[in-house]
Amino acid sequence: MSTLSALFAISIFPGGLFLLSSGLLYEWGNRKLLALLQNRVGPRWFQPLADTIKLLAKEEVIPTGTNKFLFIGLPMVALAGGLTAALYVPLAGLAPSASFDGDLIMVFYLLSLLTLCMGLAGTNTVSRFSLIGATRTLTQVFSYEAPFLLALLGVAAAAGSWQISNITAYSGQHWLILTQPLGFLVALIGLMGKLEMPPFDAPEAHTEIVAGALTEYSGRGLAFFHLGKAIELVIGLTLIAAFFLGGLSNPLWFLIKTLALLFIMVVLQALLARLRIDQTVGLWWRYGVLLVLVQWLLMVLL
Amino acid sequence: MKRFFTMLPDITRSLFRRPVTENYPAVQSETPERLRGALKWDPSTCTGCGLCVMDCPAEALELTVLDRKAKRFVMVYHVDRCTFCGQCVMSCKQGSIVMNNQSWELAALDRNSFATIFGAPEDVKEALANKPEDGAAKSE
Amino acid sequence: MPDTAASKRFTVPIGPQHPALKEPGHFEFTVDGEIVTNAYVRLGYAHRGIEKAAESRNWVQNLYLLERVCGICSHIHGFAYSLAVERLANIEAPPRAQAIRVIVAELERIHSHLLWMGVSAHEAGFDTLFMYSWRDRETIMDVLEGLTGNRVNYSANVLGGVKFDVTPTQADIIRKGLTFLEERTKHYLDVIMHDTMFLQRTRGIGVMTRSQAEVMGALGPTARASNVQRDLRVEAPYAAYKDFPVQMVLDTRGDLEARFEVRINELFESYRLINQILDNLPEGELNVRVPRRIPAGEMIVRLEAPRGEVFYFIKSNGTDKLERLKVRTPTICNMTSVVRLSVGHQLADVPMILAGIDPCFSCNDRTVQIRQADGGAQPNGLSSLMSWEELRQYAIRKYEAR
Ligand code: SF4
Ligand code: SF4
Repeated sequence: MSTLSALFAISIFPGGLFLLSSGLLYEWGNRKLLALLQNRVGPRWFQPLADTIKLLAKEEVIPTGTNKFLFIGLPMVALAGGLTAALYVPLAGLAPSASFDGDLIMVFYLLSLLTLCMGLAGTNTVSRFSLIGATRTLTQVFSYEAPFLLALLGVAAAAGSWQISNITAYSGQHWLILTQPLGFLVALIGLMGKLEMPPFDAPEAHTEIVAGALTEYSGRGLAFFHLGKAIELVIGLTLIAAFFLGGLSNPLWFLIKTLALLFIMVVLQALLARLRIDQTVGLWWRYGVLLVLVQWLLMVLL
Repeated sequence: MKRFFTMLPDITRSLFRRPVTENYPAVQSETPERLRGALKWDPSTCTGCGLCVMDCPAEALELTVLDRKAKRFVMVYHVDRCTFCGQCVMSCKQGSIVMNNQSWELAALDRNSFATIFGAPEDVKEALANKPEDGAAKSE
Repeated sequence: MPDTAASKRFTVPIGPQHPALKEPGHFEFTVDGEIVTNAYVRLGYAHRGIEKAAESRNWVQNLYLLERVCGICSHIHGFAYSLAVERLANIEAPPRAQAIRVIVAELERIHSHLLWMGVSAHEAGFDTLFMYSWRDRETIMDVLEGLTGNRVNYSANVLGGVKFDVTPTQADIIRKGLTFLEERTKHYLDVIMHDTMFLQRTRGIGVMTRSQAEVMGALGPTARASNVQRDLRVEAPYAAYKDFPVQMVLDTRGDLEARFEVRINELFESYRLINQILDNLPEGELNVRVPRRIPAGEMIVRLEAPRGEVFYFIKSNGTDKLERLKVRTPTICNMTSVVRLSVGHQLADVPMILAGIDPCFSCNDRTVQIRQADGGAQPNGLSSLMSWEELRQYAIRKYEAR
């Protein structure tokens, strides 16, 4: 890859600008759809952007008792993780701009980086809300991560490759949602858990612990974390759509499939009450893991 | 019997209807007939008994009696203090006070515009001569 | 966590400013992991000195002051005060006025319970139920606005009766609103009784047994959900409740689910009652004249507000102002149960338990006691009370030492 095209990939498409703006738009879609389902008006299309700009313009307060280096660095690492992951997924239905054997595992961990950074950011401060939020965030990571990974690996196993481009080539021919419906379910709900959407929003349940791990964040750090989450939403949707919904051959299909997935997620958000953290853990280890294992068993048997 | 998704009918219906939120300044719904808005006072029936002033819980009314016989009264009504309780309407046996259900958008930027002065112009002038602080208030 | 002493006693402060509280109050929960091991409450942040203020206004003006004790159940305060004053003056409001007062009181109960359902659903992270119950509550707000002229602080009462009549057109509007709400309430009852996810947050949480409820002096729907038969509309009927009896709604389980069910079933009772009164509205005057000076005496009035019993004590000295007023609202009686019941529960359940009593902070904050900083010099281990003069001197010293 020449330097110029690499720069383009990082700063415009699929990295930087494109990803950030689509992340904000998908976040808006999420909020707007949820509002419509609740018979409300909801935000206007530029609201997430306006929020981000406002946060970026605000003063960043660094509370006492924190490690300054970590406090400032963690949000950046989180955002960078998301942006890097974007290079390896078939965003907008186009081939990923970088690829190597085993990049699936790397993307997976890059996506977890955001959650880990949030957990660390929470434990870095002395605020009690942050500490509890961080504990919950990390507890939750350990509950959904394994089933989520297993569900994605099911697809990799079916395709016989650990490289995202190969897997998408394979899943382009096969609608894996038909052969692996349980895996699809776990992956979708796992994504909701990853994004701390309701009903998995115990780590930031504002009626108990204000804003959870991010309570002490304001200004730039908070904006970065928000952006990171918005990006993760797009990447996660892309991955699941590419793996389970018959691949992403062109931008139109990309749009249709990811929006369909988003819609399902919004409906679930609207219909489910928040789970307590012990219930989340119980749910994942009791049912999530079981479902994936059944899926694997079926795959082996058939 | 426990079920999931008990609110599914609600959200499906909402998908096909407009949000219930009123788009307030753009769209204004009709005000109810009994809505308690700003007061209107009629000096011609007033007897100057002062009951309304005495009973107002917010001390929003100020009555100046210049000449009871000639019915020369001036009423200063402080909308900003008024709680729109309607007690003055009840207290007034003459029915001189009514509440206007149309005037309820009363926000203003300066304090003076909140005082409404009722009364004949010359009476107002005379009454205000003794009360300079209300001089800037708008008269009606 | 920094050091071991802190990790042993890890307290989570909730309030005075906190997203779970819409009004100021301070709670401290000592947690062990996620489990609450100790709870502590401090009230008094919203003390407004209403009782004192009432002593400097005349009888009529007080009606509107007291209506503002609570923003949600404002009518019941005006109702209680006018009843007390009327009894002191030895007059009785005409039957039609009594009936209209009860109609407004029940409409207020409906709006309060729907509001509460939304807030509690929100505490459980079930925002869809929150949005829908508040959307439907709007129906009752519109009815109240059309009937009384205001959405809150309806000012329906005057001393000696009510301000307005319920015309046949108004009655039809109310009936229409209630029919719609009845349908919706049936649906909500179904949701709170059967939704798996929601039941996980309510069933078996914050169980208060009957004897606990009696010992802690719980009131209103909170007590009735623990099978304590305490409803003044039934026990000591006042105004039109004498002619239109209500059925007490009880539940034996005492958990959050029971509190939800009791409140929602009370809605049905209110719908029935309002319809019944509208069909049999007594004819007659709307109000009678009340003298400007109320004869000397003392009077106690207890009414059933949406949250439980409100208590009014009024002392008159025969002038046009009252001498002493004492108001007690139900939240203060239910507050103990929050502190007691939270212990042993998850931190995540605490906002639910708090919301379960339908707290209203600013109406329960009455007096503030200020104690000396002498660290428990009194024989009973409490610090001694500060007198007014001591407080003044303290303030002056504090000011000068700035
Ligand atoms: S409506 Fe109430 S507050 Fe306003 S002027 Fe009349 S008595 Fe006073
Ligand atoms: S109560 Fe009526 S008659 Fe008496 S002063 Fe007021 S407006 Fe005039």
